[in-house]
Amino acid sequence: MAETSTDNSSAAGIDLSQFYQVFFEEAGENLENMEQLLLELDITAADDEELNAIFRCAHSIKGGAATFGFSDVAELTHQMETLLDKLRRHELAPTPAMVDVLLQSGDALKAMLARHQGAGGGEIDTTELLFNIRAMVAGEAPVAASAAAAAPVAMAAPAAPTAPAVATPAASAGAAPTTGKRTVELRVGPLDNMSQADNLLELFKEITDLGVISPLPDDPSLPRTRRFTLDTSTAESELLDLFTFHVSREQVSFVALAGSAGPATAAPTEEKDAGFGFFDPLPDASPAAASVAPEGPAAAPERGYGFFDNAPGAPAGQPGGAAADASSSLVPAASAPAAAKPAAAAAKNDKPAAALEASTIRVSVEKVDQLINLVGELVITQAMLAQNSRGLDPVVYQQLVTGLTDLDRNTRDLQEAVMSIRMIPMSTVFSRFPRMLRDLANKLGKKVELVTQGEATELDKGLVEKITDPLTHLVRNSCDHGIEMPADRLAKGKPEVGTITLAASHQGGSIVIEVRDDGRGLNRDKLIKKAREKGIDAPDSMTDQEVWNLIFAPGFSTADQVTDVSGRGVGMDVVKKNITSLGGTVEIDSAEGYGMRVAVRLPLTLAIMDGMSVGVGEEVYILPLSSVVESFQVSTEMVKTIGGSGRVVEVRDEYMPVIELEKVFNVPRFDWEHNSGIMVVVEAESGRVAMLVDELLGQQQVVVKNLETNYRKVSDVSGATIMGDGRVALILDVGSLIRRSRH
Amino acid sequence: MGMMEKLDVQSELAREYLTFRLGDEEYGIDILRVQEIRGYESPTRIANAPHFLKGVVNLRGTIVPIVDLRLRFGCSSAEYNAFTVSIILHIGQRTIGTVVDSVSDVMEIPAEAVREAPEMNSAIDAAYIRGLAQVGDRMVILLDIESMLMSPDMALID
Repeated sequence: MAETSTDNSSAAGIDLSQFYQVFFEEAGENLENMEQLLLELDITAADDEELNAIFRCAHSIKGGAATFGFSDVAELTHQMETLLDKLRRHELAPTPAMVDVLLQSGDALKAMLARHQGAGGGEIDTTELLFNIRAMVAGEAPVAASAAAAAPVAMAAPAAPTAPAVATPAASAGAAPTTGKRTVELRVGPLDNMSQADNLLELFKEITDLGVISPLPDDPSLPRTRRFTLDTSTAESELLDLFTFHVSREQVSFVALAGSAGPATAAPTEEKDAGFGFFDPLPDASPAAASVAPEGPAAAPERGYGFFDNAPGAPAGQPGGAAADASSSLVPAASAPAAAKPAAAAAKNDKPAAALEASTIRVSVEKVDQLINLVGELVITQAMLAQNSRGLDPVVYQQLVTGLTDLDRNTRDLQEAVMSIRMIPMSTVFSRFPRMLRDLANKLGKKVELVTQGEATELDKGLVEKITDPLTHLVRNSCDHGIEMPADRLAKGKPEVGTITLAASHQGGSIVIEVRDDGRGLNRDKLIKKAREKGIDAPDSMTDQEVWNLIFAPGFSTADQVTDVSGRGVGMDVVKKNITSLGGTVEIDSAEGYGMRVAVRLPLTLAIMDGMSVGVGEEVYILPLSSVVESFQVSTEMVKTIGGSGRVVEVRDEYMPVIELEKVFNVPRFDWEHNSGIMVVVEAESGRVAMLVDELLGQQQVVVKNLETNYRKVSDVSGATIMGDGRVALILDVGSLIRRSRH
Repeated sequence: MGMMEKLDVQSELAREYLTFRLGDEEYGIDILRVQEIRGYESPTRIANAPHFLKGVVNLRGTIVPIVDLRLRFGCSSAEYNAFTVSIILHIGQRTIGTVVDSVSDVMEIPAEAVREAPEMNSAIDAAYIRGLAQVGDRMVILLDIESMLMSPDMALID
């Protein structure tokens, strides 16, 4: 959490930046969604579902931010989440002030994200927001920062790793007036390199309007912190903006001077730091100090350029990079990393974003679908042309025939290309996880190895987008709750390193994505106990499966402690909700002490699929090819009845129920002579049946159309498609047909 | 809905109606609901649907249900010939096709020419009749096609 994006990129072998864009887009959507929900929220009668939805938005942003190391975003969302969690648990009643603060936080998040995306701008000051949120969480009325008491600071401290650094300035900043002509004490620290503070002296020298600054002796109670008196009429926020070129915002605090100006001395301060002599706050030291500064210009607003151009020590007109080089050669080794690091950060902020923008564009799925529709139309037209031109004499109409052949080929290529837009291999999803898991395991002090299987399994783009968040939750859960601490594992006779397996595969018309771990598994008694605490009816007679499913209840968490990783009990209900909305299912298997397995099964509701067309009477139906096992001709003797009506057929020593499509769909018959004579054996998750049809017409790729768009759900039908002749054919829902055969 | 009502009020004075024939009767529907008029093409049957739902057709890549109004209104005959047309309607977010015997006219009918339909027992619920309009010597039945098609007994929506 405390890591910055700089640390991440340098420490990791994997370049996470390729996923930044995805995160920014998702976070942007979540923010918009949250704002919308907040604005619609009826405070007097807040709907649980709405509060849950707002909470989930914040949770998703936090999750992503933590994964990618945007600690400022994660910190703010963590606080928002704490507040929202209390709201949805009805521990607090929503107030308009809360909505305001949450909306402001949303704005701040937007600004932060923009900054991380390389839009420039200074650090976003969230101290007041954080402070207000914490106050609200504690049940206090929101107060202006100036009323800061000691209590919130103490309370905030354990909230997040970065909190102490932020909280201290928050409290002390409160006591100082922030605008108008005033004299305040300026504290800068804690600093890695004390010389950074001296750049501020330079700053005030350059911009005389800012006011008068003079150093104060160091205070032993504030280690690694420089103090100054500041006589200024510039607004605090503006000062902070300027200071951020040299020191980070969190390191700066304004404190009211006790009584009159303290024992301010203009004398050079005594230095304990050995390397500090180089940076004595003397005017002639400016070349060195100013050359350290070029970290700023890379990401600085114009105001910053003005300053550096005028700096006597800075080589005028020299590009930033060269200046940075110069600085690292000029300054002593000890301070070089300090200068290099921010410069790298600035460069990093700009480059990945720009590179990504150049190589990909984000297009709404709607547009792709429209494209697919149009290509579908084109294919139909092309087929019609091909059919009509078949009788033409190729010698007479040579050019036309050649043209049509080209059209045929081009149409096919075009269709393939357009379809491929939607398909992406699972590896794009899986590749997010190794890094996330590594960080997570480090943070939790666990040892975890990630194994991925079936990365090449292709998945529809729409599904990938929707499956990523649930999978992230599942992997986090496995790591946080599943895998034990290394010592515990050894004590249980397990290998020290836990294994989390991500596996994707196609199974009978579905895509199954599994998250397995060899951790502690679920504890039946604990789950039942927890459920009862939550007021969920949980009799002892529940099957294991039912007990496992308890974890999908909203707000359900078996974790003893709420961490910023997981344990708030979101995750699972969101996972279930997301997957159900895709028409999929989630199954849990668990063996206590040995691990658990969560299998996400998604129907192949892709925009396109391989279908087998079968004829029944005059009608054509499409079977998903993936569910077709085999087909064979039958004679009436092969079909036996059970109880007079139930019909079965023996296939390879196995009796299978027979479904007559003719009867299921009441197909009108005109040719009484003709008999259905083909059995197609189909399978779905629930089993196998033999389907009686008239004929097999062929096999083709079909574009899946939704019947619900303009009509309604039709039983036993999963969708429709448009055939080569322009007519509509219904796609059968094999799962539902098989269930029908059972009842 | 609020906006619809407003539209209704604004255009209450004079509205344009597309009139069509079902058997011997002439009906009018709000022209703003009409997307296009097409020749009848035989749709793909949907099993176990009400008898007036002829099925679904492909309308430039979208699947559109086709309702035969003649069957819905219990007309004596519902033949499909060269004059049979489908009126494709745009209702809410949905596109729905209706089959009629023939399309006659687009006419502007002022509000004062519209009489209230008497309460009576017919295949059409009086709630779906906006009124009866006298045009020359013809009587046009003005249908509230939107609420009629969206009513639960049409089974067009879930």
